[in-house]
Amino acid sequence: MSKKECIAMLLAGGQGSRLGALTSNVAKPAVSFGGKFRIIDFALSNCANSGVSTVGVLTQYRPYLLHSYIGTGEAWNLDERDGGVSILPPYATQTGGAWYEGTADAVTQNLGYIDQNDPEYVLILSGDQLYRMDYGKMLENHKRHNADLTIAVMPVPWEEASRFGIITQDEDERILKFTEKPKKPDSNLASMGIYIFNADLLESSLKEDAIDQTSEHDFGKNIIPKLLADGKRLYTYEFNGFWRDVGTISSYHETSMDLLGPNPAFDLYSEDFPIMSNASTRPPAFVGRDGDVDDCLVANGVQVYGKAKHSILSVDAYVGEHATVVDSVLLPGAVVKNGAHVVRAILGENSVVEENVNLGSVDSTKDTAVIGNDVVVGKGE
Amino acid sequence: MEKVIGLITCNYSAKSPSALVESRPVASMPFLGRYRLVDFPLSNMVNAGLRTVGMVMPYNYRSIIDHVGSGKDWNLDRKNGGLFVLPGSAFGTSRTGARFLLRDLVHNKVFFTRSKSDYVIFSTANFVYNMDLNDLYNAHVASGADVTVLTKQASGNDADVTGFEMDGSRVTGVKHGVSFGDTAFLDCFVISRQLLLDMFDWYAATDYLDLFEAMGNDYGRVNVQAYNFDGYAAAVFNKKSYYRSNMDALDPRINAELFPEGRFIKTKAHDTSPAKFEVGSHVTNSLVSAGCRIFGNVGDSVLGRNVIVESGATIRGSVVMQDCVIKSGARVENAIVDRNNVVPAGTELRGTPEDVLIKEKGRE
Repeated sequence: MSKKECIAMLLAGGQGSRLGALTSNVAKPAVSFGGKFRIIDFALSNCANSGVSTVGVLTQYRPYLLHSYIGTGEAWNLDERDGGVSILPPYATQTGGAWYEGTADAVTQNLGYIDQNDPEYVLILSGDQLYRMDYGKMLENHKRHNADLTIAVMPVPWEEASRFGIITQDEDERILKFTEKPKKPDSNLASMGIYIFNADLLESSLKEDAIDQTSEHDFGKNIIPKLLADGKRLYTYEFNGFWRDVGTISSYHETSMDLLGPNPAFDLYSEDFPIMSNASTRPPAFVGRDGDVDDCLVANGVQVYGKAKHSILSVDAYVGEHATVVDSVLLPGAVVKNGAHVVRAILGENSVVEENVNLGSVDSTKDTAVIGNDVVVGKGE
Repeated sequence: MEKVIGLITCNYSAKSPSALVESRPVASMPFLGRYRLVDFPLSNMVNAGLRTVGMVMPYNYRSIIDHVGSGKDWNLDRKNGGLFVLPGSAFGTSRTGARFLLRDLVHNKVFFTRSKSDYVIFSTANFVYNMDLNDLYNAHVASGADVTVLTKQASGNDADVTGFEMDGSRVTGVKHGVSFGDTAFLDCFVISRQLLLDMFDWYAATDYLDLFEAMGNDYGRVNVQAYNFDGYAAAVFNKKSYYRSNMDALDPRINAELFPEGRFIKTKAHDTSPAKFEVGSHVTNSLVSAGCRIFGNVGDSVLGRNVIVESGATIRGSVVMQDCVIKSGARVENAIVDRNNVVPAGTELRGTPEDVLIKEKGRE
């Protein structure tokens, strides 16, 4: 990809309210994942690895951690003089300011940023998905079809299809029908919320949508159906790798557990397509004399003096003497003190489980226990 | 500390070289899995607020530059000041054991004359400790000394460490090697920039000497005071002290002194995923860096990044550097295994705690 052929608009303003305590004080894209990463690392790394070097990151909900984490974009090699990462929060104009209302509105309010960069194509991404994708291949596909809009799609199990935007296509991959969360899906090809637009078309359709009083200003609900109705050339780009939108606590827990075991669904150790992150430099993990770590992902700065099994121990997590951690995710800085037992739980960043506390249940019919960031769990709580 | 600049001399050549430093300068020796020795002086300076640091390079500087780059991981990629890479003299210190070779400093006089700082803090890259250098600086300013050297009471004999002859807290002479109880030099000192420039003139005729040797007859008129550091500090001059200092860090109290909350040792950032302890692995009393995949047994050891320990393999009392693979059934005991080695299935690398086996760098 040449430098300004394609720029990315990365939607990172979502609260992710279904992640409950995990997003009580940070935006969903900033939630820690996989021991040393934050969710937005995946989209930013994909951009860097695909040669998309101009990325606007649209933020809104609880942005501090996200802003400081992204910084100059240096951690993803995106600190470029003419481009790189730009953080785009809502802003005020002469006529006042407004929050981003919907995905399309967020981009509409930043058409000035797109104009300033003057690209041929605009890639619309979501900052809260976990996957590895070469957007360059998607762009080639887009150009080959001479498309107006290309939507990345993936096959999903039929029983889950009604949760997604479902696409019906013809044999040339041209989109015939797009239905947001259909009750009776006639296809199992789901939109991943990843779009490549011709920049001119994006601008005109967003401007048209902006003055439509009935619109919810959402790509899936409004923009795409309108373009389809207008007879534009909409094509799919099929993706078949690991892709997760960790929308809920249980899917977050499940996806984390997917990283463990002998043949994990997602390979964290790919050298060709590394997931980059802005992790702080901490010493190697330390396992004490009586430490016992089995089937775990263990980040730098971790200290284990007790037992950890089938769990994710993120940067600076701590497991005290005679403590046990099973089937759990300890986010950065989470502390399990001596003699505490933690089972099927997610411990927020810098949370503390006090000595001899029992947390969580092996009973998989019960909800995963979640402790929010900075929360201390004592006896009897 | 806007008034202070730093200088790290990286061209020390060991008097008794080993396979570990055949292929790299001491400054870029991997240490504790993910670090290089130079990370300690660099981080100590930056953590104390210094934002201008020069590094005098040895002739084989590739691995140092590879590591420090523009200095960005130490916040030294700056518009004003930042990291200055300075040439060392062609043949380095040529196994003389000099730490602050005058010639290396004089050749880089411009680094000092262009600065507007009041003081310069010097360090080598041969010592491992984590200290707030403001303590040294404040002691220097408070005492009004000409030079303040950082010292520690020697806890044993070490022929490679520089010792000071003392009269109270004042240095009266310098010597090679220390015995138990001696005042050992931690190769770090603070001096006013002006006095340093004066010394360049005073000692112009003996620029082949170490600064402290050149001062040999002047300890009467130059007031050199010692400032004692009472935290953990390890000298790393040979394979024995290299091995011992790695093993020291397995003691949680020493580890906590080296990596205190809020005063991190900074190092080059890598995009390495967390280590994976696989089903059936067994690890005790060990430091494990990111990217390791452990299926086998590891005890009392330090593993660098991306080390793979296959099932049935055993590592005991060893330092294994990055990108090594210990194949199934292999055994590594009391050894230092340099990077990029593959230890074949069923084979052994075995030394003793007194005489550690060294396996030199493997092929990349």
